[in-house]
Amino acid sequence: MIVGIFKQVAESGPSVHVAPAGVLEIGGVTITNSILYGWICGLVIAALLIFVARRVTVKPKGGLIQFIEIGVDFITNLVEGAFDDKKVGRKYVPFFVTIFFFILLNNWLGLLPFVGEGFRSGENPLLRPFTGDLNGTLAIGVVTMIMVYAASIVEAGGPLKYIRHFFIGSPKNPLYFGIGLLEIFTDLTRVLSLSLRLFLNITIGEIVIAVFAYLGHTVAPLTALPFFLIELFVAALQAYIFTILSTMYLAIAVNHASEHTDDEYLTEQDVPETIGVQTSGSVRGQV
Amino acid sequence: MVDILAETVNTAIIGKGLMIGGGFIGPAIGIGLIGGNYLQAVGRNPEAAKFLGQALIFVAIVELFGLLAFASIFIVK
Repeated sequence: MIVGIFKQVAESGPSVHVAPAGVLEIGGVTITNSILYGWICGLVIAALLIFVARRVTVKPKGGLIQFIEIGVDFITNLVEGAFDDKKVGRKYVPFFVTIFFFILLNNWLGLLPFVGEGFRSGENPLLRPFTGDLNGTLAIGVVTMIMVYAASIVEAGGPLKYIRHFFIGSPKNPLYFGIGLLEIFTDLTRVLSLSLRLFLNITIGEIVIAVFAYLGHTVAPLTALPFFLIELFVAALQAYIFTILSTMYLAIAVNHASEHTDDEYLTEQDVPETIGVQTSGSVRGQV
Repeated sequence: MVDILAETVNTAIIGKGLMIGGGFIGPAIGIGLIGGNYLQAVGRNPEAAKFLGQALIFVAIVELFGLLAFASIFIVK
């Protein structure tokens, strides 16, 4: 079956789809092929994880349960290690484990041979990897960053206190105000960088596999196999990187909030008026 | 001269080629530096081998710029 599908790809030329295509319409809302496969994958992932969660014992039987356990353990250690206080980190473990498995399994299920060109509805492929669509990864990124911001605001104790953490000194100082604004802007680009990285990695993988299946022609599975294996690795790597980067964003905000519980910021008195006064005072005093 | 060139040569293809070539040089050098420095650190201090995960994060950050160059070729017409 796999050989047949690869042959079909090889004969029709390397078809490159970057944008999703609509396959059905429900009540005026177009359902694209990537969201259709996203729903299928979501159901499969939920069923799989519920199945595994019911069967977890002290001595697990079967490779699948151990595989899921290793993943959960790995992400748990990762998230807990990122926070200064392990108990605070423990609260956020379920969210990051869910995100990790959702991205990982979506990436891997997107590599199955029937996804892409296997089934067609009209001119467009019926199924498309969910993470190979910018809308899908943007949704994951937005959900993650909303969770990160909400948790940071709760840990900081209010939205104003959270925003206050971006300013290293008094916001009345124009320099600190400008730096703080830049920090806030940098923070807002994280949604885009998280989702674009995931989307482009998966899409490029699809394109590379399609191109090499086309070049192989009759021996398409052989030429596409090395890139398929690389993509298996890249899929796991991207899931890991997405998880650890969002963990770091949250951990930095939370750790910073716990450091500055009181008003420990630089005040106008702490900042020397000129550098000369400060050096002459402190250096001479020490020497 | 420029008019003739624009009529006879598909400049979009040249632009895309230059974009891919130029855009991928930087990340290639960057990832090479990260990998090389990681191996050097492991060579000097074998206990540093556990920081592979941290090195991969920087690979992902550097790689994004190459991916952005790749994404831009779909805009060039």
